[in-house]
Amino acid sequence: MSLNAKVMEFAHLQEKEMAGYIIAATKEVFSTMVTMEVEDCYPLLEPITQFHCSVTGMVGMAGSYTGMLSIHCPALLAMSITSNMLGMEVEEVGEDVNDALGEIANMLGGHVKQVLSKGGLDLNLSIPTVISGETYTIRSMDNDDCVVIPFQHNGEKFLVGLTLKKEG
Amino acid sequence: MANILIVDDSSTMRKIISRSLRQAGLEVETIFEAGDGIEGLNALGSGSIDLILSDINMPNMDGLEFVKQARAQGYTAPIVMITTEGGEDIIGEAINSGANGSIRKPFTPDQLQEKLGGLL
Repeated sequence: MSLNAKVMEFAHLQEKEMAGYIIAATKEVFSTMVTMEVEDCYPLLEPITQFHCSVTGMVGMAGSYTGMLSIHCPALLAMSITSNMLGMEVEEVGEDVNDALGEIANMLGGHVKQVLSKGGLDLNLSIPTVISGETYTIRSMDNDDCVVIPFQHNGEKFLVGLTLKKEG
Repeated sequence: MANILIVDDSSTMRKIISRSLRQAGLEVETIFEAGDGIEGLNALGSGSIDLILSDINMPNMDGLEFVKQARAQGYTAPIVMITTEGGEDIIGEAINSGANGSIRKPFTPDQLQEKLGGLL
């Protein structure tokens, strides 16, 4: 699993640099908006496409290239994140958790868009989408055009992924 | 004491902005909330607003259109974009449409104080 070499070449970026930007952006978003310190465990050793009792926030990118920035959290961690963001206890995966994870994906997507725009890629962001469930598969993380970065907070792991490919 | 309108489709973000405004020590009377540009325009019509904070990427009516329509309808309160869309082109378009500045998400209360203190 790695980002499409041609896309990275066009954006004048190495995959490690892109991963570095995502790591820095994720740490900044969690530190300032979630008030939670997270550590990265990059690189991911084994591909992960199946999720259990999790919440996934995604924001699409469209333009001359298409892609998706996603964050995948176990449900318990997603509730802790939402509790911190809202300043109140959240005890179920529902509207609040979906909104919080969508907004985190949105902020990370905005950061990635800015990095790629500086490199010459023209992209627009979609409105965030969130899915959750006992078991689901993210097919976009099952191909060769993505980078996935594991993070952890107090031993609980979550993933941030970026898929990017040339249209047509 | 100021009346502030927050226009953002994320209820989580509206709560974070509200909390951060108070943490920043800004003198806030009432905070009004709207989930998109259409609701934002309706809120402007229903009360005296001293400062508007608006997202850009929203459904139904985005922040750029909201700024254009708010100015076209004669509302003069400062509008500051609070957005993940930090690119110079989109921020430039917002400023040309009548926005007074921008703040990039994520932000800290200190950054809100720095950018908004002079507008209140």
